Amino acid sequence: MLVEFQQALADLTASPELCIRVRSDPSILHQHYELTEREWRRLVGIVRHPGMACACMVYRANRLAPLALNIPQTCRALGEKLRPIVSEYWATYPEGNVHFFIEANRFCHFLKAKLATGCDLPGEVAPVLERESAIVADALHESLTEATPFEVPPALTG
Amino acid sequence: MPDRLWFDFGPQTATSKRFHRTLGAIEQVRQLARGRILAGHGLGLSLPSAMPLDEAFVDAIATVAADLGGFRWFSEHLSLFITPKGSVPNAQAGLGLPVVYDEEAFDIIISKLRRLQQALGCRLLLENGSFFTPVPDMEMSEPTFLNRLYAEGYCGTLLDLHNLYVTGRNGGVAPEAYLEELDPDAVEEIHLAGGDEFTGFYMDSHSGATPPEVWQYAFDYVPRFRRLRAITFEFQESYYERLGPGPLVTELTRMHELAACCHILPELADVG
Repeated sequence: MLVEFQQALADLTASPELCIRVRSDPSILHQHYELTEREWRRLVGIVRHPGMACACMVYRANRLAPLALNIPQTCRALGEKLRPIVSEYWATYPEGNVHFFIEANRFCHFLKAKLATGCDLPGEVAPVLERESAIVADALHESLTEATPFEVPPALTG
Repeated sequence: MPDRLWFDFGPQTATSKRFHRTLGAIEQVRQLARGRILAGHGLGLSLPSAMPLDEAFVDAIATVAADLGGFRWFSEHLSLFITPKGSVPNAQAGLGLPVVYDEEAFDIIISKLRRLQQALGCRLLLENGSFFTPVPDMEMSEPTFLNRLYAEGYCGTLLDLHNLYVTGRNGGVAPEAYLEELDPDAVEEIHLAGGDEFTGFYMDSHSGATPPEVWQYAFDYVPRFRRLRAITFEFQESYYERLGPGPLVTELTRMHELAACCHILPELADVG
């Protein structure tokens, strides 16, 4: 079924771990998705292609973008913890949100919850997160407002 | 120029609407577009997805188009962006995924193109994507698929020459073979761009000047495109400091030289 094929392709691109599992045992695709033999062969071919590593990397870069753009200092403060934290976040929320402020705001709440449970993170994370999460929350609130006045400079309208 | 014309809040609820337009930005574009031809370029309708068309998204595009005085044409991507089993209508796949070109995909796409055409009332174009993983054992090649969409009157092609280069550099189809197969009359807009290498792969990052190979494809093939309406250079503004104004002026100069090589059909020559 095409629906299943497309979902499997998206799931594989989002999960290097799933790609590794499928490479070692391609039959597991049949356990998770209702695929024709042709669709299964196509997915196995895609997963084995060297470019799949790049597709997975671009997926992660695109999901990191709203965080890097909106809470850059928090990302820097996380340092080496950034990779495991975002991996856990993406596993918890496998669907990204196209509204960058919603995505960044959700990650801020996720990180605050980690801090509240005593997660071992660098000391500078909490104050930086407090500051940047407030900015993101304000931006998210402002994005609900449609009327934003703007005056075009006369020189640009000619 | 503004970087967004709306915010998409995802699922509509009884107490909150999904799309919140940025009216100031829309007004800015409307004023800047006075006396000029305006084309819309979208990302995320995900026409190849095996699911119904996102009607709320189509309505949002149509509303903005009407606010701006209408599009002369509207283009979208021939890539899979939305996951069919997503829990919300805008659940993104994270990047544009490759399409399986067969009869089923053709039927899905043409039914959505019909609806989109009805909503926008303008010419539609579909853009070739850049892919890292070719789909094995396809019924049709991408140019054959695009040729058929054009021949049967559903849409034209927005040919992204840099995307072709990216796909070719990463082990996909050779750009020259693709360009030989594509119907030159289908092409109504081209995209140029630059990218960079990362961990052994070449990325469509819109980070710099158009590579010499892409210019070569352009000067070899674009003069054959009799129905060409626009030549667009895609550039991510965050790279401006790195590139500087000089190379951008060079790009624009070469684009004019390229346009001068075109032989547009007389009936199209005065409409941009």
